[in-house]
Amino acid sequence: MPDYLETTVDKFIFRVATDRLYSPEGVWALADGDRIRIGMTDFLQQLNGDVAFADVKPEGTAVAAGDEVAVIETIKANVEVPSPVGGTVVEVNPAMELSPEAINQDPYGEGWLVVIEARDWPTDRDALLDPQAYFELMKGQAEEEAKKL
Amino acid sequence: MSPEERKVLVVPCSGIGKTYGTVSREAAYEVTEDLRPGSTGLVALSLLVLGDEEARAAVQAHPAVTIDGCKLACAARMVQESGGHVAQGIAVLDVYRRNRELKPQGIAELNEGGRQLAHAVAEEIAAVVDDLVSREEAPDHA
Repeated sequence: MPDYLETTVDKFIFRVATDRLYSPEGVWALADGDRIRIGMTDFLQQLNGDVAFADVKPEGTAVAAGDEVAVIETIKANVEVPSPVGGTVVEVNPAMELSPEAINQDPYGEGWLVVIEARDWPTDRDALLDPQAYFELMKGQAEEEAKKL
Repeated sequence: MSPEERKVLVVPCSGIGKTYGTVSREAAYEVTEDLRPGSTGLVALSLLVLGDEEARAAVQAHPAVTIDGCKLACAARMVQESGGHVAQGIAVLDVYRRNRELKPQGIAELNEGGRQLAHAVAEEIAAVVDDLVSREEAPDHA
């Protein structure tokens, strides 16, 4: 179980796991050597609501950092998820086929999307945010969203 | 047992400004006005939220089918908190997952997919209502 940074904005509680890195778009990357597990942040999943379907790129797909690696259809929107790392998809979360609501229920755990074998993790890693930096960015984004309510 | 006593209540979520809320309400109207008008009644969620005595008494006296547009499940929760019994809780999202071709869009006015999804939800509720009514009519319930 990772530790979390946590903030409350309006009536919503948002968490950021402290054991991984983040893209500004709200995609996390958890490295195990060159195998990078990725998923949506708690903020991104709450912002977009209940997940209906998750269309994830299949194993063997080559992606560059920033390429779409999944499209998540929620009750509010279709969310294009950009990969935070370049490489090849080597594993897809089987839960995405039948129970994509795992993204809502456990965004940092069971709701992961894919594992990517990174081509150049050190370079991609440098472009990502550490948990504290993402936490501050996310708080600002959440406060902006709250003004729209 | 009189038709009035056999009534099943349909309680849709409010979900104002949300597509799935509109689907839930459209489905409720279709069941109570077109598909099973004789054996169903509509209860406004807002009345339960307000603690309206008549609405509370109704859900305490009759089985309820709730329709919820999101995981907050306000309709199901309010029936339970009002002392009622949720005979069946329907989640619009679950019905959509089984009918992906019926992608709902629109709020004040649903697109064709949304209208068809509302119809699919209504058909599921009608089947539940038939089952509940037939159970009430069974000899051991007489």
